[in-house]
Amino acid sequence: MRVILTVPMTDARRFFDDIQVGEEYESPGRTVTETDIVIFAGLSGDYNILHTDAEFMKSSLFGERIAHGLLGLAIQAGLFTRATQPYATLAFVGLRWKFKGPIKIGDTIRVRAKVTAKKETSKGDRGVVTVERTVLNQRDEVVQEGETDLMVQRRPGA
Amino acid sequence: MAQAAKFYFEDVVLHGILETPGVTITEAHVALYAGLTRDEPLEPGAVPEILPLCLTTGLGWRVPQPPLAVLAFMGFEWHALLPVRVGDTIFSRSRTATKRSMREGGVVIEEREVINQRGEIVHKGKFTFLVAKRPT
Repeated sequence: MRVILTVPMTDARRFFDDIQVGEEYESPGRTVTETDIVIFAGLSGDYNILHTDAEFMKSSLFGERIAHGLLGLAIQAGLFTRATQPYATLAFVGLRWKFKGPIKIGDTIRVRAKVTAKKETSKGDRGVVTVERTVLNQRDEVVQEGETDLMVQRRPGA
Repeated sequence: MAQAAKFYFEDVVLHGILETPGVTITEAHVALYAGLTRDEPLEPGAVPEILPLCLTTGLGWRVPQPPLAVLAFMGFEWHALLPVRVGDTIFSRSRTATKRSMREGGVVIEEREVINQRGEIVHKGKFTFLVAKRPT
């Protein structure tokens, strides 16, 4: 694992020009709790029995309640911000995502990320950075993976 | 004991369209979401892009149709076209784009648009679900 830690002295944010294709990061871990799932069900309104009915899930393929896939996605978005210096992000453009396995109560997940592409846009002050992300559990099993596209500001005057 | 009704693979209508009720996104939604996930808004008043996606999934439970018998949420792609701000009211419109029968269940690809109070499509994407067949 290679962790890039560059700390510009003035603006802590990293601009499009500073980010290099091939950079890799790994976040700290985060244990997903029953509380996370209950709060997410309340916030989103997604009360699917997969996430909320402990008795029904005992007899399911998973044997217990599992976290919402989108909760895992949202938690990795937060973990990513703890994995590297913040980008000078202007907007989230889009993502392509696969759910590979369940996240169960008590699992500890982390995100491993790699910059795979940089694309300048027609507007000269910004560019799109593509980051490949893998969400792993405590057994190093891939539970989610995908790519995100972020619109990142260019260094002013660059 | 009667089981709650479910919408199985056989019930899914190709090109069928489903619209949800709306929800107004408040500071409380953003604060709760950011506290839960640490995925923070980029600036005050902004809404993290994953939050509307999460809310539309819940809105899908409030349509006059039983919930889809999802065996697995396999994956999706998502595009953020316009910013969503605190105070915006969003709803989603979904259309079944593909329906493919498998040995165990069937794959359903749903196209979803998130629309704001001005009728603008703010986000859109495609979801792939594995859906159960009706038990025989």
